[in-house]
Amino acid sequence: MERIHTTSRLHFQDFLHYPDIAVEAGTFAFVTGRSGAGKSTYLRLLNGSIPADPGCMFFRGLPLEEYQILPYRRQVLLVPQAVYLIQGTILDNFHFYYDARRQTRVEEERAAEFLRLCCLDFPVDTPCDTLSGGERQRVFLAIFLSLATDVVLLDEPTAALDEATARQVLDNIKEYCKQQELTALCVCHSPKLVELFADQVIVVGGEI
Amino acid sequence: MRGIIQLQIGQFLLIYLLLLVVLGVMRLCRIDQTRLLVVSSMKMTVQLIVAGLILTYIFEHPHPLFVVAYLGAMTGFSIHRVLGKNKDLNPRFRLVTGVSIALAGLCVLAYFVAAVVGESLFNPQYVIPVGGMVMGNTMTGVSLGVKTFRESLHDQRSKIEALVCVGASAEDILLPFVRQALETAMLPTLNSMVGMGIVSLPGMMTGQILAGTLPMTSILYQIAIMVAICTAVTCACFGTLYFGSKTLYDKKRQILQL
Repeated sequence: MERIHTTSRLHFQDFLHYPDIAVEAGTFAFVTGRSGAGKSTYLRLLNGSIPADPGCMFFRGLPLEEYQILPYRRQVLLVPQAVYLIQGTILDNFHFYYDARRQTRVEEERAAEFLRLCCLDFPVDTPCDTLSGGERQRVFLAIFLSLATDVVLLDEPTAALDEATARQVLDNIKEYCKQQELTALCVCHSPKLVELFADQVIVVGGEI
Repeated sequence: MRGIIQLQIGQFLLIYLLLLVVLGVMRLCRIDQTRLLVVSSMKMTVQLIVAGLILTYIFEHPHPLFVVAYLGAMTGFSIHRVLGKNKDLNPRFRLVTGVSIALAGLCVLAYFVAAVVGESLFNPQYVIPVGGMVMGNTMTGVSLGVKTFRESLHDQRSKIEALVCVGASAEDILLPFVRQALETAMLPTLNSMVGMGIVSLPGMMTGQILAGTLPMTSILYQIAIMVAICTAVTCACFGTLYFGSKTLYDKKRQILQL
């Protein structure tokens, strides 16, 4: 198996220090650790939206600094914790993010597929402001998943979901990642979900 | 038409009696700003007396250096006020703001005085009052623009984060914020043009009429100054926001520092 991502003495400023991490391609890994241990920060360092010191982060054997950042961020796609959707329908939101990447817009059928993947049984022309918090989170997740090409970083993707739905969604995502040969790193607070779905557990900030 | 009546000091002081009315209303409604009222009217009086004395001196001894110094002070003060209200801008953003205000204000002023009026650029009677109006409005406009820009960046952090993650360029992310702040900054000037002459006669025109200028001449000046102000506000805000927004990230790492 190819090592897709490794770190060496990774730290953020002076207060967050990480153990050396290695993730193999195709893994569905979970990142755990107490609150404030730097789980979200780790994902942001990994997709280059906050700066890591040179020589700490490697992706497919090359230090992160050697990549062109915008294509890299698309390849190592972070789904942030804070959901942002524009006013309009679900499909409008797909278009919003595809347009932001200057990418050809998604077809309705494909958008609908990703909604189903996230356990959303809505037509794509449903207005987003009628949706609940958990539904909005899944719309957001569906859009980002449809954009994933290589690695997907999920920052508490199931935070607003009840346990049964969370389990179903993670099950679908894991299945999808396997089909598409995607690598996933997922921050999650539920030990139960971690136990159920983790191929690998990365603990940051010491034992829980 | 005749020239303006000189105010006698004794009679002039009568105007301050009106402030007692303001004070009375404030007391009645328990608006706790008595201090501000006293301080601001005193500051206004002192500052205007000083300005009057300086202008009298400059008009009696016209010299290009005086005009340049006065304009410099005016420009410096405008920039200082805008930056004072936005203390945590990064140094490059501050520089961009200063250059934009100075450049836009002074260029429009020069065009107004030299090309439209056809006067010397060092004639204090034209350059100083027109400069004051242009600079004052530019200051207000840029202040509003920068404030709107920063507030909306702050309010929409989750939007910005999502767009960064999805792989949009920093430039593409910031441009809508620039556009929106520029629009907000321009609106007061545009709106003031709409009502002009219907309800109120604008300040510059009123002044000229009181001084005995023919109304048709004074409206030409008023129109000219409004267009000049609109241009200066737009250009200064555009420069500040467009080039200022580029100081918020570095191109290589595409990391936004808001």
